Amino acid sequence: MKRPLILMSVAFLLLLETPISFGNKDADAESTNSPAAAVKIDNFSFNPPTVTVPTGTTVTWTNSDDIPHTVVSDDKVFKSKVLDTDEKFSYTFTMPGTYLYFCSIHPKMTGKVVVQ
Amino acid sequence: MIPFDPKSVLFAKHAQHVVLIHFPIALFVAGVAFDLIAFWRQNRGLAAAVYYNLTAAAISTLPAAATGVLAWQWQLEGKHLKGILLLHMTFGLLSTALIWIVWWLHFRVRRTPELGLPRYRFPIELLGVPVVALTGHLGGFLSGVNVPN
Repeated sequence: MKRPLILMSVAFLLLLETPISFGNKDADAESTNSPAAAVKIDNFSFNPPTVTVPTGTTVTWTNSDDIPHTVVSDDKVFKSKVLDTDEKFSYTFTMPGTYLYFCSIHPKMTGKVVVQ
Repeated sequence: MIPFDPKSVLFAKHAQHVVLIHFPIALFVAGVAFDLIAFWRQNRGLAAAVYYNLTAAAISTLPAAATGVLAWQWQLEGKHLKGILLLHMTFGLLSTALIWIVWWLHFRVRRTPELGLPRYRFPIELLGVPVVALTGHLGGFLSGVNVPN
């Protein structure tokens, strides 16, 4: 009589535990494998000039130039402060679309993020 | 942006430094060229033009320098002085000093003509021209004029 009760209790606890452990795995997967892309600012250009990323991707721009630069989207969706050498700016793209951006100090410098 | 909108002119973050800076550059370089020609040709009329050119050049360094500081604070958000920004500011201060020294040499003679213009002004003037040119060249990188294609 006791044995089925113990088995049922174990099964119940396993059932309780299962969704929690799945949930954690998903959360871990999101935090460690969240999509990311990098754009390097060097020699007055964004490299690569166009990045194509899935929705939810965080794009990070790093200024490797000797001159301050900014990252500003044409439609003002995102705007960085002035980035000194080696400073970074990140933005997470949650909506699909094409985002054109430029450096507000040197408007000839342009780039594009395509979010699918 | 509307190019003729007064707001786009008055509230530009570069504070018109990129516009005003051309005045001291052009007036000083022209003043030095006139001084050389006036000395070579012994032309008094041209010598008078040299004085007025250098006076205007010296005066125009004041708004140019002031707007340069504003451009640094507003457009570049007061970023650390290093690299090209530091070089531009250093050469800018040196250019300003040289322009004022050259002007003072001419001004001194204007007030007391018996002193005569010293010949050592020419090395100072000829040093000033490349320093001014180098300052402008470096500023071109900061403003984006010298951006590689």
